[in-house]
Amino acid sequence: MSLAAIVANPASGKDIRRLVAHGSVFDNQEKVRMVRRLLLGLERAGVERVLYMPEGYGIVPRALNAIRPAMAVDALEMPVRNSQEDSIRAAEIMETLGAGVVIVLGGDGTSRAVCKGLARMPVLPLSTGTNNVFPFMLEATVAGLAAGLVARGVVDREIACVRSTALEICVDGEPVDLALVDAAVYEDVFVASRAVWDMSKVSKLCLTRCRPDSIGLSAIGGQLELIRPEEPRGLAMDLGENGERVVAAIAPGLFEEVGIVHREIMAPGRLYPVGHAPCLIALDGEREVAVRSGSQAAIRLILDGPWVVDVGRVMEAARSRGIFVRETSAGRDFRPIRE
Amino acid sequence: MAKKTYLQALNEALAQEMEKDQSVFILGEDVGQFGGCFGVTQGLFDRFGEGRVMDTPITESVIVGAAAGAAASGLRPVAELMFVDFIGVALDQLFNQAAKMRYMFGGKAKVPMVLRMPQGAGIGAAAQHSQSLEAWFMHIPGLKVAIPSTPYDAKGMLISAIRDDNPVVFLEHKLLYGVEGDVPEESYAIELGKADIKREGTDVTVVATSRMVHSALEAAEILAKDGISLEVVDPRCLLPLDTGTILDSVRKTHALVIAHEAVGFAGPGAEIAAQVAEKAFDYLDAPITRVAAPFCPVPFSPPLEQAFIPGAGDIVKAVRALR
Amino acid sequence: MSHSKEIMVKMYTTMNRIRMFESMLQEYFAAGKIPGFVHLYLGEEAVAVGACSCLTDRDSITSTHRGHGHLIAKGGDLKLMMAEIFGKSTGYCKGKGGSMHIADFDLGILGANGIVGGGGPLATGAALAAKYKKTDDVTICFFGDGASNQGTTQESLNMASAWKLPVVFVNENNGYGISCPQCKSMAVTDIADRAAAYDMPGVVVDGNDVLAVHEAVGEAVKRARRGEGPTLVECKTYRWRGHFEGDACTYRCTEELNEWMAKDPIPRFEEKLVESGLATAEELEGVKAAVKKELDAALEFAQSSPLPELSALLDDVYA
Repeated sequence: MSLAAIVANPASGKDIRRLVAHGSVFDNQEKVRMVRRLLLGLERAGVERVLYMPEGYGIVPRALNAIRPAMAVDALEMPVRNSQEDSIRAAEIMETLGAGVVIVLGGDGTSRAVCKGLARMPVLPLSTGTNNVFPFMLEATVAGLAAGLVARGVVDREIACVRSTALEICVDGEPVDLALVDAAVYEDVFVASRAVWDMSKVSKLCLTRCRPDSIGLSAIGGQLELIRPEEPRGLAMDLGENGERVVAAIAPGLFEEVGIVHREIMAPGRLYPVGHAPCLIALDGEREVAVRSGSQAAIRLILDGPWVVDVGRVMEAARSRGIFVRETSAGRDFRPIRE
Repeated sequence: MAKKTYLQALNEALAQEMEKDQSVFILGEDVGQFGGCFGVTQGLFDRFGEGRVMDTPITESVIVGAAAGAAASGLRPVAELMFVDFIGVALDQLFNQAAKMRYMFGGKAKVPMVLRMPQGAGIGAAAQHSQSLEAWFMHIPGLKVAIPSTPYDAKGMLISAIRDDNPVVFLEHKLLYGVEGDVPEESYAIELGKADIKREGTDVTVVATSRMVHSALEAAEILAKDGISLEVVDPRCLLPLDTGTILDSVRKTHALVIAHEAVGFAGPGAEIAAQVAEKAFDYLDAPITRVAAPFCPVPFSPPLEQAFIPGAGDIVKAVRALR
Repeated sequence: MSHSKEIMVKMYTTMNRIRMFESMLQEYFAAGKIPGFVHLYLGEEAVAVGACSCLTDRDSITSTHRGHGHLIAKGGDLKLMMAEIFGKSTGYCKGKGGSMHIADFDLGILGANGIVGGGGPLATGAALAAKYKKTDDVTICFFGDGASNQGTTQESLNMASAWKLPVVFVNENNGYGISCPQCKSMAVTDIADRAAAYDMPGVVVDGNDVLAVHEAVGEAVKRARRGEGPTLVECKTYRWRGHFEGDACTYRCTEELNEWMAKDPIPRFEEKLVESGLATAEELEGVKAAVKKELDAALEFAQSSPLPELSALLDDVYA
């Protein structure tokens, strides 16, 4: 049975960056409407069953108030803790149950949590968060269609997906966490409201990808290098008062000029020490890992990051095979035509 | 002394107090450029600017509550509701917040605010824009209730209300806005809680408020021709109520008619009647009589509305029935 | 975020003052020593302390029926509060107000409030006064999830934003309006979402993390002082006790309570203070011991104080 999965995070898109920057409020009603369109896309692609992560708001059940797709849509049986752990756990269960793809509605933070729980299941992250370097700003209808084709195996994973690199955070030699886009060493001891906007506190920044048109901390590297997510290299920078100055949009509507004292291309597997402790390491824009004094922490580029669905490539494969083209009308047949 | 309308008198009171005291400001719906629903704040926006004559959203709760909050923070706001009838949506902020702050907080709060509200029937505004609700406010310890009947009183009492350290409900009758009277140019204050004898007489005391003061004076003229002498007492303020002046008058005339436009049942006259019955029963030669609106909402159609509003004729009838 | 040892330890101290004050009330209420009824703030300490630690004595707050925490966090005197709650003449309000009506205008405490949603317009007015007087004073309006459904609250958000008033609306979302869970009382999960309707920033923070509250409210206060207008900060938290003391809490389950008690804001903060080296465990024990003494003194003051004279009944109706 073709199985797709949805993790929609009701908590994304509401953090302090609406106050200290100019981030959009992504209310949960909009997520409901997106899931509605997503489900209609999955249905059209012929998916037979959808699993979703239960959460306090009930984004998926509410989406079903207005549509009746011709497939089973079931909540995972798992406790709801209303924390990041829910997304990690849900991703693990979804992969175990054989889902062919997981669609994530959230920002960089939600995507990171889901990817922590994944082994090989492809992920299609849709942006409903703040900075959104990892997730895509895409119309959910088309995302559903593409994800459905991947879930059913109509388009092969190697064609449909890009395998992204990631950053592994090691404390005292043990991997403790993961970042998909950026890891920033933050000179503070308290996680507090999580988001990073005070660049004077960032002493080191490691990136898996660099694009000049991105936003968030990776936009800084984006002005210096071009690194695609699947390339086996990253960028490590030491920030400080001296050195070359870079202006970048580090949050919505928030530009900062930062000094780059030193930068180097990261080689896969090599440990880049974070410097002195105590400090925090912010992962994908959120203060996350507290490094206590006396601990040794380091950041490493790993190549076996998540398999990420490229909707453009999936739909191009569908077009080239004429999957949605037929000679005569077949009425309300929800299956693609030629597979 | 110059003749001015009731509306001009109020406007002058506002202007003079704003001139004198920087902490006085006006807030309400359409009080700015528009000049207020009935024109009371006309010209003040141009003179004092939008910083002191503030057009609010249509948000009665916040008009009243923000006035209370600003008053508790050291300012002297004068808030306007377009019609007293709108107090329903804002009542909590008046009677649970503004009125009770001082007592609840052990005497430490001061809430020097004025809430101006036009009331009364006679302009075809029907049930939700025509009521006389003074009895509601009289029932709340902590409030003062001013209800002036003449341009002279309107100016002096509004000045007092603004200077008062308590929340003052200031009730203006819509049909009085155009009434003219002598009003001095200079600023003057009329103590809140002091009744005024609008006409001295010997035979019957008529305690009348607001527009009914004028009806009572008219009735007095009519009855004078028959040799009946009315004493017209205008309490001017219902809370505090100057019972002393009313009792003195009753002790002199031995008869009491109470006239107001609010509905009679549990209206302001009920309290006045009770005070007199308790304190001057032995002086009364006849039962106390009330002239008031009947117990129904204010109707729309002109003949019905006219039938609703009590007038001089009703007072004349009530006085004659006493004798 | 500034986190000098002084500020951090003071925040920790205040959280403990609230915790112990409320625990003491719980005990004495159960023993029948306190008249009327009380709504305890246990479990929500991080919100009041995180928020009020961003203010000075010149700034104001409006509070709620569950106000003891806000008042203590804004600097309220424990003795005067305790005496008031015991109905004594030495209390903040000479025994006229009780638990739900304590104010201290000198400290900018514009009063707890017995009416759900009653504080919004007052806070808007206090902020209007600050703007009118051209000071940079800020008002925090504390309100609950229940109050967020009241027209007064929405009207206040609207006018405060339209007029760019220096007010920070701090929502304490503890999940219940008396017995009614949030899912039954509103169709949204996040009260902060409502800010967008008024073109003001709306932020959700962990209300059991005092530093998260402090940082977010601190930014909102700075914004207000700059004249940029109001902010809505929603703090997700939970009340450990019922709506009032004596509430059997049949509407919620023990598992839920236990889950939230595991997120107790005080040990969480304690751990961070010790971990970061800002304070030692011994120092923090010392703080608790000192607070305990202070509370014993407050209790002694309240209990030994006289009840009001009946002759005071009619005092202070008018200024």
